[in-house]
Amino acid sequence: MIRKLLLKLLTVYQKFFTLIGYGSCRYYPSCSEYARWQFENNPLYIAFPHSFLRILRCNQLFKGGIDYPLTNKLSCKIKKDKIAPIKYWFVPKGDKQYYIIKNFSKGKSC
Amino acid sequence: MLEKMTSNQRLILAFTVSFVFFMAYTAIFPPKQLETDQNATAKSATLKQSSTDVASLGANSSESELGSSATAARSADDAILTTLSGANYVLTIDTLGRIAQKEMLEKKFFDEETGNAKLVAETGAKPLYIRFADKALNAEAIKTPYTSSLKEANITEGSVSVILTQKLPQLMVTKELKFYSDGHYNVKITLSDDVRYYVYLGMHPTFSDKQMMTVEGAMVDTGEHLITIIEDGDAEGLTSYNNVNLASSFSQYFASIFYGIDKEITVKIDKDRDDNPVVYMEGMKEFAFNGYIGPKDYKILHAVNPDLVNAIEYGWFTFAAAPLFQLLMFLYDYVGNWGWAIVLLTIIIRLVLFPLTFKGMVSMQKLKEVSPKVKELQAKYKGDPQRMNAAVMELYKKHGANPLGGCLPLLLQIPVFFAIYRVLLNAVELKGAEWALWITDLAHMDPYFILPILMGATMYYQQRITPSNFTDPLQEKIFKFLPLIFTFFFVTFPAGLVLYWTVNNIFSIAQQFVVNKKFEAHKKAKEE
Repeated sequence: MIRKLLLKLLTVYQKFFTLIGYGSCRYYPSCSEYARWQFENNPLYIAFPHSFLRILRCNQLFKGGIDYPLTNKLSCKIKKDKIAPIKYWFVPKGDKQYYIIKNFSKGKSC
Repeated sequence: MLEKMTSNQRLILAFTVSFVFFMAYTAIFPPKQLETDQNATAKSATLKQSSTDVASLGANSSESELGSSATAARSADDAILTTLSGANYVLTIDTLGRIAQKEMLEKKFFDEETGNAKLVAETGAKPLYIRFADKALNAEAIKTPYTSSLKEANITEGSVSVILTQKLPQLMVTKELKFYSDGHYNVKITLSDDVRYYVYLGMHPTFSDKQMMTVEGAMVDTGEHLITIIEDGDAEGLTSYNNVNLASSFSQYFASIFYGIDKEITVKIDKDRDDNPVVYMEGMKEFAFNGYIGPKDYKILHAVNPDLVNAIEYGWFTFAAAPLFQLLMFLYDYVGNWGWAIVLLTIIIRLVLFPLTFKGMVSMQKLKEVSPKVKELQAKYKGDPQRMNAAVMELYKKHGANPLGGCLPLLLQIPVFFAIYRVLLNAVELKGAEWALWITDLAHMDPYFILPILMGATMYYQQRITPSNFTDPLQEKIFKFLPLIFTFFFVTFPAGLVLYWTVNNIFSIAQQFVVNKKFEAHKKAKEE
């Protein structure tokens, strides 16, 4: 519920408000994208503080650059009759954690 | 639907929507013209005359049928008993022993259509109205006019005492009132017998052209300053409060307040036909309390009683808007002009963010080492600016010389912006506050559209000289159109807000200019 609401808010933000400071994020993925990936893959209590800290980090005191969100659980939401197209890649980092990287190529579902 | 549209279509839609909004707004709320001073004084003169004319104190409100509903207090054509003239207001008391009206004579509160600002609603409960729980007694009370110890007085200074008495067959009601020039008053109600009755706080006039996001309704401050607000149209039924510090019925700029109420007293909020809150309290045989009726001016309220400033309400964002107003008022005390106070505020916010921008400038130094490589890349991707940009960004990142500002400084602006908006809409001090030149009311839109256009122009220029990171050319196009969209959007905003944003843009430009200059200098130094 809360997750859905927050994601809706993010969508609104990304559609309208982000334009005020468009293209000024020091990171890849941008803060709002980062938050989206976090909220779609991690529980709220992890996604929220991480997204918050990311925004706090996004200023001239920090270097910026590439910063993917992390997760330590692999979600496999396979629907009954079809296999959804790939949305995220999980790239292992060490033993327990995975980088969350969104799949942008619009290829066929596999 | 929005998903299926191309970015271009969305852009056109955004344009149309903002344009239609702008046109509709100006059609509905045309920019108000300023009235002349004579107009206002003439008005007050006629008012005084009409009030002195009324000598006969006929009980002509007998046709009012009083149910137990809270809206029962009819104003029909009750004669004026007492007229008190203050420095900038006229207060009248009618034969029902109520504050019939308080009219503000200040120029800034004058409205072309409705004249001077009136603080009490024409219909509905009026301040200090007494309703008896016993219906028969109540019907009797409405037929019996009060008598007053005073017909007319000036209270430009100090205070004036008025004693109102009502002789009912079985009961004697005495209201000892002491009005002070600043708008507050002491009340002492004495009854010859112990009967149950209620004292009303009064209703504020509701305006049909209520501005968006202004807060109007009733509030009670109980216990350790726990504030409950019931906005107009949201009252749900009878609620009771004890241990009340103050009860207020407020509109955008004015309030009728009861305070200094005994802790035991029950304050009740009921609703009227339009679901607006109606505030009253249960009286005692000997009942003393204080009241205030007038503008929600921070300094006046603070001087009367520091607790009264709690009656100033900026809506749900009060927690940020109230301190912001304090800061603005502090600045105002130095410069004596709200417009310049806003400009100073912008500078202060810039100074707070200075460590960040300074760091950003320092990181520019690092670009020195990178600049030959940038040249290399520029040569390499000559025909493909997008790939070039991406490569340059990558290079910046590698060397820790990121010229982008970041999300935090931008996101920090949003609450500040919103708080200023709230303050401009709800603070009476900013009503009719001048800045300079053509801006005569910071709380109202710029009548000549100069500030919004200036805002758009500065925004456009700022965009041009600020490095940004685009991957999608269409989004870049939308971004380029933003100043135009914002100009339209800001047209209807209070001038003070547009002023803030414009000054902010100008400072951003100046700052970016310095940074760019440095960058250029380094580049040149390297080339030589």
